[in-house]
Amino acid sequence: MLRFISRRMFFAILTILVVSAVVFAIFSFLPFDPASLTCGQRCTPQIIEGNRIKLGFDKPIYEQYWLFLSGIFAGRTYGSGSAAFSCPAPSFGYSFNENACVTDMIKESLPITINLAIGALIIWLAIGVGLGVLAAKFKNRWPDTSSSVFVLLGTSLPTFVTGLALLIWVSIKWKIIPMSLDGYVSVLDSPPRWFMYFILPWITLAIAYAALYTRFTRAAVLDTLGEDYIRTARAKGVKERTVLFKHTLRAVLAPIVTMAGLDFAGLIGGAIITETIFNLPGLGRLTLRSVFEFDLPVVLATTILAAVVVIVMNLIVDMLYAVLDPRVRI
Amino acid sequence: MSELLRINDLHVAFPTDDGLVRAVDGVSLTVSQGETVAIVGESGSGKTVTSLSVMGLHKKGTAEMSGSISVAHDGGFLDVISASEEEIRSMRGRSVAMIFQDPMSALHPYYKIGDQLAEAYVVHNPGKKKEAAARAVEMLDLVGISEPAQRAKEFPHQFSGGMRQRVMIAMALMNSPKMLIADEPTTALDVTVQAQILTLLASLQKEFNMGILLITHDLGVVAQVSDRVNVMYAGRIVEQGGVDDIFYNPMQPYTLGLLKSVPRISKSGSERLKAIPGQPPSLISLPAGCAFAPRCEYIKFADSNACATQMPALVGTKAGHTSRCHIDESKRQASFAEAMKEVR
Amino acid sequence: MSSMSALRRAVVVTAARLVAYNPVPGEAGANLVPDLATNTGIPSNSAKTWKFTLRPGTKFEDGTPITCEHVQYGASRVFATDVITDGPAYLLSWLDIPKDADGNSIYTGPYKNTPEGVAAFKKAVSCSKDNRTITFNLNKSVADFNYLATYGTISPIQAKLDTGDAYDLKPQATGPYKIARNNKTELLLVRNKYWSKSTDSFRTPYPDQVVIKFGLDEEVQDQILLEDSQPNAINFDGPLPTNKDKFFNNDEYKNRRMNNSDPYANYVAFNVKKMPCLEVRAAMYYARNAKALLDYAGGPTYAGSYATGVISPLVATDYEPTKVVGPGSPDFIPEGNIPKAKALLEIAKTKCPADYKKATVDGIVIDARQSSTLNDTIPINEAAYARAGIKVKYNIISSGYYSTVMNPAKQSDMTGAGWGADWANASTVIPELFASFGGFNLSQNDADPAYKAFEEKINVAMKTTDRKKQAAMWKALDKEAMKNFWVLPTVFGKAQEVWGSGLGGVFFWVPQGNPAYGKIWVKK
Repeated sequence: MLRFISRRMFFAILTILVVSAVVFAIFSFLPFDPASLTCGQRCTPQIIEGNRIKLGFDKPIYEQYWLFLSGIFAGRTYGSGSAAFSCPAPSFGYSFNENACVTDMIKESLPITINLAIGALIIWLAIGVGLGVLAAKFKNRWPDTSSSVFVLLGTSLPTFVTGLALLIWVSIKWKIIPMSLDGYVSVLDSPPRWFMYFILPWITLAIAYAALYTRFTRAAVLDTLGEDYIRTARAKGVKERTVLFKHTLRAVLAPIVTMAGLDFAGLIGGAIITETIFNLPGLGRLTLRSVFEFDLPVVLATTILAAVVVIVMNLIVDMLYAVLDPRVRI
Repeated sequence: MSELLRINDLHVAFPTDDGLVRAVDGVSLTVSQGETVAIVGESGSGKTVTSLSVMGLHKKGTAEMSGSISVAHDGGFLDVISASEEEIRSMRGRSVAMIFQDPMSALHPYYKIGDQLAEAYVVHNPGKKKEAAARAVEMLDLVGISEPAQRAKEFPHQFSGGMRQRVMIAMALMNSPKMLIADEPTTALDVTVQAQILTLLASLQKEFNMGILLITHDLGVVAQVSDRVNVMYAGRIVEQGGVDDIFYNPMQPYTLGLLKSVPRISKSGSERLKAIPGQPPSLISLPAGCAFAPRCEYIKFADSNACATQMPALVGTKAGHTSRCHIDESKRQASFAEAMKEVR
Repeated sequence: MSSMSALRRAVVVTAARLVAYNPVPGEAGANLVPDLATNTGIPSNSAKTWKFTLRPGTKFEDGTPITCEHVQYGASRVFATDVITDGPAYLLSWLDIPKDADGNSIYTGPYKNTPEGVAAFKKAVSCSKDNRTITFNLNKSVADFNYLATYGTISPIQAKLDTGDAYDLKPQATGPYKIARNNKTELLLVRNKYWSKSTDSFRTPYPDQVVIKFGLDEEVQDQILLEDSQPNAINFDGPLPTNKDKFFNNDEYKNRRMNNSDPYANYVAFNVKKMPCLEVRAAMYYARNAKALLDYAGGPTYAGSYATGVISPLVATDYEPTKVVGPGSPDFIPEGNIPKAKALLEIAKTKCPADYKKATVDGIVIDARQSSTLNDTIPINEAAYARAGIKVKYNIISSGYYSTVMNPAKQSDMTGAGWGADWANASTVIPELFASFGGFNLSQNDADPAYKAFEEKINVAMKTTDRKKQAAMWKALDKEAMKNFWVLPTVFGKAQEVWGSGLGGVFFWVPQGNPAYGKIWVKK
């Protein structure tokens, strides 16, 4: 186990290095002058040159990359004299568009995305697995047919349609969940306000995923119910309920956990549409904005972060799989 | 010897989109204490459907059943066809236990062996978890698994095929059932392991005085352990008798065909397997007469018109040995005697 | 809207300036009133010296009393052109500080400087002994210098709290509200306890707190206001084009909407260095289908009116239709005057054949900022110009638009732009757009033979302190610039605003071109 983890960690770090180098290279070779993006309408070549030196864009690419890497561990200082400012370690650079250290921007947006992803995950797992089991148990009867309607709607309606519909109808027209003006509140500060802030985004995201999980769970449960060991359990005299919720669900759990882990990682990387519709200042919005504004340091940081999350979640999922499936040894 | 199982005129049919599949068509048989009754036949002959019917394991709504299946249970008899789900459940694993063909897939891959065994006991003895665990170890020991306490903590994939089948047998014995249904218990195993398992079954039968209903397509297995044999073809029993009757004096061309198709080492070494020509009929559109008639090489000794239109009755020349055949008895004896020379 | 432009509007209620516009409806709104100062500035030495005396009792949000030194420091930051990149930069050219050989000021701001530079700056911007009166010494007469004092470029800043450009994202408040939170989705303003009504001549803070949300989907914003689900909301941006009729054609909203001219004169600048031929430039103007483009943008009701020059009607004193272009000109036809364009091209054919070839064969390249409407407006323009046999090509710039086109090496033949007066004086329009020393000259018109005389007239106008005479000069210069076709004027813009039923006191504030946010109150 320890050997497995250290081996995987080594490859994870290698992957992250490669990803960061590739992203760095892509943005370096784009036909944009990053320094010219640093000033507004009253721009002069002198200002651009000044900013180029201040932000290190005057140096060769490999040196810029090295500065970026060393900044993660040692922090970075920009400019000189009394106008100098620094981003302490771990520094992922400085956003000239927002005049802020990228690390601070990520620190601000990451909790929101994590809150969003975890809440949505819980809801979609509850709905998806619940409906899937129900549909499998009552195959071809009304719970199955109505859940297949849900699956069809959930998979075919894009998030921006369900999100906008929820926001406009539930929040603005019917005022069931009034639009909050408070902004993000931590669950520790005020659970009710936190809940109100996130409930609609959670539902929006959860609908899309719950549909997929319903379909997946239904198929997996039906598959498992046809397994020989389920027949064995019945032949032992095990109650039908126990057959379903213990013997069958236990077998379906491992692939669902795998899927959920990877989907969760994907969400951390960018629930862009949901965050945009509900105006949540999370990582997805940050990424989107930085891409549109060519805020290269932020794009670089969010891309690397997304890669790290995917790699780490893969590792966690693999370890969880080993815990869940005794046949897998790592 | 008291009867443990009496199946009377059992019909099982499965409605499908293509039509009604008549999987079992009027089967009657009995199993008594201490005896082993075999059902032999090709795949699709209805032997497994029959055994699953006894356990009440056909899914509700998928099978149409008629006739009666009486199982000795709690001092009386339980008619599986008319009993409630709950009554059947209390019978399963306690009065009648079952072991299956593929011991790998029949054991839950995610639960420990000991827990799976214990569950079989706890289901019928709620709350007695400690007792169940102890009994699981005891049963594992009984079926010849060394270090049973240790191995109870292991998962199915850590056992070899033969060991897994021993585990299945141990699980079946958890509630000391009076009767055991063994559905192709050795088919998936190596030949040497097959013998060990059969020996184990036989010794356990003696020890617990169990009745065993053995489902198999392997005449070798039948010969080793059975007392009585039922040969099934296309959902019907075509010959029924003592093991010696069947092997030394078959009365039905299909039984004879089966015996001839058993591989054996010939002196010349050049002899090929003698398979029965043709395919079994579709269970959706069975011929009106003898289902075996289209494949029967002895039809020339019978009234072919009768073979095609009338189903022969199950009749016998002596007590306990019956068969379904239109062939004239005298012609049959002569021609079968010739054929049996090859078998011997 | 972006967080930056939201911040600029919030500044109205968070930051006090030396002087301010009077927040009242109508023309009077363009008048100056004292803010941090006790008066609107006292000129002397023929408006080369300006003095402002600070009102006692004013404080920053941290309780520090505001002194002259803070204002002096604030003004010094403009010179750090490498750090501070936003806001009007008139101080750079107006303050009496020596220039080096390249024409750059020898003072380089508070972050990095030389003793000589500091001394020169302190001479140009000085504080009285009691630290209450600030004096600006200019290198020329600037009659309307005090209008610049309405901007943040001359506002108090504490040196110890200055974090460079980042400071402007969360400046210390001197007005009735301070910024409590400024993240990517909202700006939260709460009462500043160190502000007191007694030291403020005109501010009337009504709500306890103000929340500015940005990043909300535009459709959602419109729905909120259509449904009035947030009665205390006001939308900085206008409604979506598709929703405009819902607000403006329905009496239900008649007390919750306004539709006014915005301060922008929109135009397409000709790069005179690349298009020296007057006839071709004029032909480009006449061949254009102004009506089709205006209708596409929402028509006269929502998009604005055909521009008659670069001075917007909102700069009322200096505005007059030029009658050279736009309504009032005999040759102006909204759909395009094709015969006139063809006649002009015919002249160009012999007079300047290279330009003629570019217009008819190679194609004239137009810089345009990437936007979803380009998909529709480019075909409209191509079709319009084809009527006169002119070819156009587009250079679409997806980011850093102004920093690209302001670079002479990267600017194409024509460049789309818009300009609003910094204050109600065309001195912030004509010199900025057409003088070689202006801050936003996209026409490169110093290459034109007519330029020299033009610049001389600008200098005279800037020195003229008689406002009426000055206005006449600006009007004449606007006309002259149009005759030379240094730009192709398009529309004087219009803007719509809608708000919820819970708000009162919303009126159009002429000098800002938007509601006086500080005057809005919440109905109980």
